[in-house]
Amino acid sequence: MVQRRVAITGLGLVSPYGGDLADFFARLCAGESAIRHLQTDDRPRPLSMPFVGCPGFDPDAALGRPLAAMMDRFAQLGTAAAFAAWDDAGLPRAGDGRDAWGVSWGTALGGTLAYEKGYRELWQQGRERISPLSVVLGMNNAANSHISIQLGLGGVSMSHTVACASSAIAIGEAFRRVRSGEATVMLTGGSDVPQAYGVARAWEALRVLAPGDEQSSAQACRPFAADRRGLVLGEGGAALVLEDWDHAVARGARIHGEIAGYGTSCDHSHLVRPEAAGQVRALRLALADAGLDTADIDYVNAHGTATAEGDPVEIAALKQLFGDGAVQLPVSATKSMHGHLLGAAGAIEAIATVLALREATIPPTAHLTDDNLDLGCRGVDHVLTARRDVPLRAALSNSFAFGGSNAVLAFRAVPR
Amino acid sequence: MNSIGLIREFLQNRLGTAPERVVPEAVLAGLGVDSLLMLELVFEFEDRFGVKLPGDLTSPRTVGEMASLMDNLISQR
Repeated sequence: MVQRRVAITGLGLVSPYGGDLADFFARLCAGESAIRHLQTDDRPRPLSMPFVGCPGFDPDAALGRPLAAMMDRFAQLGTAAAFAAWDDAGLPRAGDGRDAWGVSWGTALGGTLAYEKGYRELWQQGRERISPLSVVLGMNNAANSHISIQLGLGGVSMSHTVACASSAIAIGEAFRRVRSGEATVMLTGGSDVPQAYGVARAWEALRVLAPGDEQSSAQACRPFAADRRGLVLGEGGAALVLEDWDHAVARGARIHGEIAGYGTSCDHSHLVRPEAAGQVRALRLALADAGLDTADIDYVNAHGTATAEGDPVEIAALKQLFGDGAVQLPVSATKSMHGHLLGAAGAIEAIATVLALREATIPPTAHLTDDNLDLGCRGVDHVLTARRDVPLRAALSNSFAFGGSNAVLAFRAVPR
Repeated sequence: MNSIGLIREFLQNRLGTAPERVVPEAVLAGLGVDSLLMLELVFEFEDRFGVKLPGDLTSPRTVGEMASLMDNLISQR
């Protein structure tokens, strides 16, 4: 079967910094954290934790009032990101001949916030019934359905829920459909809103969330550092347009990069204790799928959540795969700045990786220094401050989820 | 507030519809009221006036039909 090359022609996100894509990448490269302290007014116990929000996001402005009112926040963030990616790709919002174009979306939580609103009304406010829109606001496929409707995409419209690997898998599955020729264009990415009260409390109970107050929250997420205290949750939406290479060239589209490979595996051993062997299998599969060798990889955007358990296992997996080359392998975890977007994590990190290749600039792991680097995380070339003007040929983006599900995406730079 | 006032307020809030377009002879579908929005409008009305529309209700076609249905229920309260 003839395999098509797959171009990335559109990138879009709702930036936690409030600006555009260029601003997002510039701030990542400056090592600037988007993490703030979140304090809610929930009674009797408010949420008080480091968090990455998108406070500047105006759903009515981004989507129009009638559409925004039909959506839960996860779908609003997702659709806004999708519109941004679509516009970036230079594709008109409406168009014909899109019956085989589709959407593959990632979300870990879907419309949990909509259901939680219902619980609050029923249990806290003593109401007898909830909005008739609750089902269509809350369903996990709400974001991809809205995107398909708004952009007139008549092909597959699906959501993937694989915890922290949701959108990496969504992107990988979209990539396969374009490569096989089933779809000329796929809109893909992810969105999530983990500030639902019950969800945030559940994460707290797992004892994997980093603590922080008004002063310390910006530095709360410290992947690979010896003093790391855990992950920081964040809301957001990030989207990519994947397109048949020839189609993209024919219409004169700007090609940000090439998505070349996708590998998935399951540790099949434990729900929350990651295992290097499973991660190595996903990494190997992604490389083989892309026709790349370890020597071709000039950057790895790590899963790097800053948990005690996760970080050393990921470094061990990279060392196992890259062997003697690992010490020269540039690795960074941008979660140190944009936080952990759960079902949108793979998508926002894919964008960071593609921009790194395009701009020949590697964003750093914020708050990491030679002095605080964990002994158990040594053995790769940790990027402590941005590296500019470094020609990069290919890069990987790792997403390793609870449940042991692993997904790795491989990207190639476009020579210019 | 009367029934037509509630319909006007609802449509202005949700769809940005100018209140002067929401006249008795206006067709609801023509104003952009689809089945989901109709469910919400009915929900809002029931909430506001403390009444319950019958489950076997035939969907009203115009603003006027909707308003008189609501007015009837309010008067029977």
